[in-house]
Amino acid sequence: MWLAEDAPIRKQDLVLEKLFVNAAGMLGFAPDPHIMPFLGQLGAFITNPISRRPRKPAGSRCCLPFPGGFLLHTGLPNPGISRIIRQYRRRWAAAPLPIIVHLLAEEPGTLAEMIRKLEGLENVLAVELGLPPDCTPDQLREFLAAAEGELPAMVCLGPEQIPTLLPTLQELNPIALHLTQPRGALPGPDGVLISGRLYGPAVFPLMLNAAREVIKTGIPVIVDGGVYEKGQTQAFLDLGVLAIGLGNQLWGIGQNL
Amino acid sequence: MPELTAKLVEIFSLGDIRAGILDLPRPAWPEPGQYLPAQALSATSEILPTQLFRVATETERLALAPLPASWQPGDTLVTLPPQGHGFQLPRGARRVALCAIGVDPNRLLPLIPLALAQAATVTLFCDPQPSPDILSQIPSVVEVAPLAALNDNLTWPDALAADLNRDALPRLAEILPEEKLSFEGQVLVRTDMPCHGLAECGVCAVETRHGTKLACVDGPVFDLNEVLHVAG
Repeated sequence: MWLAEDAPIRKQDLVLEKLFVNAAGMLGFAPDPHIMPFLGQLGAFITNPISRRPRKPAGSRCCLPFPGGFLLHTGLPNPGISRIIRQYRRRWAAAPLPIIVHLLAEEPGTLAEMIRKLEGLENVLAVELGLPPDCTPDQLREFLAAAEGELPAMVCLGPEQIPTLLPTLQELNPIALHLTQPRGALPGPDGVLISGRLYGPAVFPLMLNAAREVIKTGIPVIVDGGVYEKGQTQAFLDLGVLAIGLGNQLWGIGQNL
Repeated sequence: MPELTAKLVEIFSLGDIRAGILDLPRPAWPEPGQYLPAQALSATSEILPTQLFRVATETERLALAPLPASWQPGDTLVTLPPQGHGFQLPRGARRVALCAIGVDPNRLLPLIPLALAQAATVTLFCDPQPSPDILSQIPSVVEVAPLAALNDNLTWPDALAADLNRDALPRLAEILPEEKLSFEGQVLVRTDMPCHGLAECGVCAVETRHGTKLACVDGPVFDLNEVLHVAG
């Protein structure tokens, strides 16, 4: 149990029984033990980002390598919350680990509607809110207010959002904060800049620094870290993170977590 | 999903790419058009697996490409079983057109011995012209023609296999006008497939007549009718 033994447990405290989780977008919408032999090492399964309505893939979707990592630009395609629930609720219920549903926070009203649909589903442990890249402190307040309900709600922030949103987040004291891979940009094949999230070992120092800042607030932190070595895991543990999110390491073959 | 290990026994050039011979047992060979996610066992610098495709016309050894520059003969690779849907040459096909559209024809070459084995006549239509080392792989009974010649010969084939990049899909309708098509066709759509079906990440999404499909699991070989007249 990754719990602080001296702190009382709130009704909505997030408890994970293993150190690792997957980063959203890395393992699909539901765990599949046949193709994911590492599930037993995860404390929770985080779904791909889900929106209220179906989203098509981005026109410029791509995977752009750079030294030390790659940029992923997908447009976060998904069939929308209603179809996802219809399609996956049984697999979530039967999963060997708890499910955290990643919701794309677009409007407070639609966020609240999505969360209501998830309440009562078996084996759903929590929701996490994927904020817009340009989210303001006021919007953050609205989103967290809309997310109040039966399910614990944690907030996802990229390191680039910390200066703007961390003070507000500290004031709102969410159940946990998920530090997600940073956003970046690279020239695409035709020279046009493409934005997306960055993955790979190159992001580790950035994430370690961000985690160091965030942990000072006292908010429990899950961090997607570009972790490739035991020493890097230990560095996060020494900071006192709640869990470590694994990204493309899970796509590797012949790798040991 | 069981992982397999195999040794890279030989490396050779095929046009602009590095290809290699892998000593996987035959039941683990991918079909032409299927892919094999692979990673070098000892390489800590490999961030993502490489998706390997059957290439060349060799039938006794497993030739795969493209190999990363860091792989060397003798390296041990870890692979997953063959992934996705490959080409299915119709058993009755007797006139087979292979079309490489803006890409080298390497991934179509493994179809040649299969077609010849069922007594089919094969023509390779390609643009650009293959390099000499690729041409040397092609048996002399196979005619090689420029892609532009296909339009004048659309009544000839009874089966067609094409290979192109995803962003070239809109070109298909120009090259293969639907009203002239009287044969079965399949298209290998080249695109990045970083998650190899694990994540439904969407990078390899292909627009089809039946909505968005993922090349990593629904492809990378699609029925021609599925991808004709779509945006890509």
